[in-house]
Amino acid sequence: MTVMRKKTTAAVAVLSASALILSGCAAGAGDSDDSVLRIAMGSPGEAQIRVWDDVAAQFEDANPGVTVEMNYQDDDLYQTIGLPNLLNGRNAPDIYFEWAGARLEQRAADGFAADLTEAVTSGPIAGLFDEEVFTSLTVDGAVVMVPHAADVANVLWYNEDIFADAGLTPPTSWDELLATCDALNAEGVIPIASGNKDLWAAGNWLAHLTSRVVGEEAYSAALSGEADFNTPEWVEAFGYVKDLADHKCVNESANAVDDNEGAQLFFQGKAAMHAIGSWLVSWAIDEAPDLNFDYVNLPSMPGEGNQDSVIGVVTGYVVNAKSSKQDLAAEFLALLNSDENVQAFIGAELTPMALSASAGEDIDSRSAGLIDMLETAPAIVLPPDTGYDLETANALYAALAEVLGGQTSPEDAVAGIDQKLG
Amino acid sequence: MSTPVRATRSVQSARRPAPNRSPIGRIPDLLFTLSLIAIAVVFFFPMLWMVFSSFKSNSAIFSTPFALPTEVDFSRWVEAWEIGHIGQYALNSAIVTGASVFGILLFGAAAAFAFSRYRFRGRNLLMGLLALGLLLPLQSYFIAQSTMFTQLAITDTRWALIIPYTAMGLPLAVYLLKVYLDALPDELFEAARIDGASDLRVFGSIALPLLRPGLATVAIFSALSSWNEFLLALLYIQDDALKTIPTGLLAFSSRYVTDYGLLFSALSIVTLPMIVIYIVFNKQIVEGITAGSVK
Amino acid sequence: MKPNRRVTPYLFLMPAMAVFGFAVLFPVIMTFAYSFTEWNGYGAMTFVGIDNYVRAAGDTIFRDSFTHVLIYIAATILLEVVVGLILAGLVSVKRRGSLWFRVAIFTPVMLPMVVVAVLWAFVYNNDFGLLNAALQNFGLEDLQRVWLGDTSTALLAVSVVSGWVYAGFYMTIFYAAFNQVPAEVIEAARLDGAGEWQLFRRVKVPMIRNAITVALLLCITGGFQGFDLFYVMTNGGPYGATEIPTTYLVKSVFTFGNVGYGSAMAVVLTAVVVGLGLIFTRVNREKPEGARR
Repeated sequence: MTVMRKKTTAAVAVLSASALILSGCAAGAGDSDDSVLRIAMGSPGEAQIRVWDDVAAQFEDANPGVTVEMNYQDDDLYQTIGLPNLLNGRNAPDIYFEWAGARLEQRAADGFAADLTEAVTSGPIAGLFDEEVFTSLTVDGAVVMVPHAADVANVLWYNEDIFADAGLTPPTSWDELLATCDALNAEGVIPIASGNKDLWAAGNWLAHLTSRVVGEEAYSAALSGEADFNTPEWVEAFGYVKDLADHKCVNESANAVDDNEGAQLFFQGKAAMHAIGSWLVSWAIDEAPDLNFDYVNLPSMPGEGNQDSVIGVVTGYVVNAKSSKQDLAAEFLALLNSDENVQAFIGAELTPMALSASAGEDIDSRSAGLIDMLETAPAIVLPPDTGYDLETANALYAALAEVLGGQTSPEDAVAGIDQKLG
Repeated sequence: MSTPVRATRSVQSARRPAPNRSPIGRIPDLLFTLSLIAIAVVFFFPMLWMVFSSFKSNSAIFSTPFALPTEVDFSRWVEAWEIGHIGQYALNSAIVTGASVFGILLFGAAAAFAFSRYRFRGRNLLMGLLALGLLLPLQSYFIAQSTMFTQLAITDTRWALIIPYTAMGLPLAVYLLKVYLDALPDELFEAARIDGASDLRVFGSIALPLLRPGLATVAIFSALSSWNEFLLALLYIQDDALKTIPTGLLAFSSRYVTDYGLLFSALSIVTLPMIVIYIVFNKQIVEGITAGSVK
Repeated sequence: MKPNRRVTPYLFLMPAMAVFGFAVLFPVIMTFAYSFTEWNGYGAMTFVGIDNYVRAAGDTIFRDSFTHVLIYIAATILLEVVVGLILAGLVSVKRRGSLWFRVAIFTPVMLPMVVVAVLWAFVYNNDFGLLNAALQNFGLEDLQRVWLGDTSTALLAVSVVSGWVYAGFYMTIFYAAFNQVPAEVIEAARLDGAGEWQLFRRVKVPMIRNAITVALLLCITGGFQGFDLFYVMTNGGPYGATEIPTTYLVKSVFTFGNVGYGSAMAVVLTAVVVGLGLIFTRVNREKPEGARR
């Protein structure tokens, strides 16, 4: 009997121990101190994924024993939940995509951005970039990001055939834009396609519009939380957004569909214009090869701001300060920006910021024009969601969406932002 | 609440061939059947449409959404399978679901056995705590759970899903299995005890075999909920190699956003096996769900 | 049965309680503790008393999210439980060949929500969508809508999808319950001249009252926990018209890093759900005795 009893106890103990193992062992299981180089980013699209996978293969060939693990996340997910979870989790990435601006500063403050000053001045990355680009990527005297591409976050794309058929020219002033909308509506074509379900798509565009009305400084102050939104200038700016609603400038479904569905309207020729960033080029070439399209900057607005301002953001890659493979990571970023790979990215319709990119001959003329526009811009406006605090950006976006959808008056919307942010 | 034994009997008696004289006449009978078919078509149509669209190009999907595909070409399916990591996601789902279900069955049966067969101090309190689990919504714990898992570095491992799925499935499992055990006659256990069987032995060789129908029910019920769990999978797993089907498909759909034919191919690949499984195990699944919710 | 050793019952319980305590009970307590702090999840934590609760009380988005989820639950009771009941009634009239019918109706339950959401995004799409195209074919252009973009239809549109998914689930429960109604009872009612509809209303439905209450409880508590459909289909939009407590919680905690505030909202939500559940089970437990004639 005693033997039996002991067996019972032992077996039950095993049972309970397995529960403890279930809950406990994972914590002890290995750190990420291995030979895997982890790279995380929002999905750059099929064409560029092929280039990335190829760069990863090259790196593995050059560094035997090292495995490169790519993690392409859903874009919106990466920007919000994904990256913070990754950084705080186990198997944190060694290299991760980030937008320059407030986000980058936050990463540096949280201790997730390694000092790359040496790598870019005398290390493997030296000489690959024009040194000036690093000024905006420096936090507390340390370079913390290797730039990859500069995106114009928003221009007004237009379908050349639809414009020619309707005898229209691309609008350069606000009144012209509204007149163009009316003319296109009369033709039965959606004037401007927008897929604003996730709020940033039209949000970027309309924020740029407001910055031209209230002025870049007031724009930046409000988004940084240093000034209220509820001022006559902001109300006026929101009034122009209401014009868009009144003239039915965007598709009725704007706030119900996501950016991909919005782009489909433009690709399928259902909409004559599309307000979105420079990444549309690569996408359109893949998706709608026969589409004749070009762009103009946002029309000039009556207001304080610089009317030739460009809304844009430098994006690039940060080396995780907590990574044990920082040197390896720097070497990877050097390989990423090698002449050969830069050309491969150009082939995938992304134009890298590396010096060698300008030597490329097959850059799409529209992409080249956009880069030039960004480089020569008299004023650069940062997109709210990457340049500033996300919660503030979201409040602004939500208010803009409400006015664009004709749900709220400009006055109420502006007051609502301050109220929401407390 | 009927005991399992009685339930089976009454199902059987109800299944005796009904006398074949419906008060509804012949023509209404046909109409009746037709309306059932119509309802079924409405329910099934989105899935048919998905499979048809997987054989179409983007422009065909957008311009003639209702048209049948011009050709049935499975190369897109192959492509989706190869580049989409669908097999990996399915394997992850299977591992996570399998491990959770195993944990729920083993731990749940042991706990139900203790609650049903023993009287001990704290029994009511512990039972009450577990019963609370039947009511607690996910929101009441997932915030702290996620910070805790992050600090313990459990996130981005399969444990990050297996542990909560097991924990979430236990209350119902214990409750259900206890109902089954309570229905077993005491003499069965006492007889074994007189023969000198230990507690573990009584559990292993008497309770467990008799619990088999209950365990099957619990397994099906918990497998269904683990397989499709979305929120925790979204929060805890960022590593693509560990993603389960729900979040893996989300990742897939954002990687190939503009290629709807490919997306529908991937969705069809995931969906069809589920339909086949349901048809094959239809009886067990129905019993599982019924017992799981009605007991 | 008497255990051989006093510790034995506890040993049997330990694995289950350990996992449950670790992954559910302990986090519940910690969530409660976090709700009195201001914390972003990794930095310094400051104690702020009941500030978060005060903020929640004045937060119109949070308050509206309860209204939305209540509307959603009401709609799903109709679209899932009532429709499921009617479908089960239809199937139970005619048993032969009903397997295919039941398979067709049940299949959506097995689909991952992402599949459901992508499919229905196409159904509802304003410009390419099936629903508007179908309406056009039938000459009902007036009814065309931006289903997910219109504040008056978005919530109902999501509810319909939920109904499409779960009506089969409830049908399955009710179908099995109907099968347990003794054949003699039905025969007797038939002999009394009851038609199928009367049989359904006066005999079958009252006899499965237990199954119906459980289904209602499942539908209500499940409704409060709804997340994936909303997240993938509307993510709270348009203009917050489909913001439910869970989507708002996830945004506050995981997007904006307000762990303390999110926890306070979670505690309020928990209190509501558990409270409702307790009331419901209590009422349910008392009723059978009183109602039995």
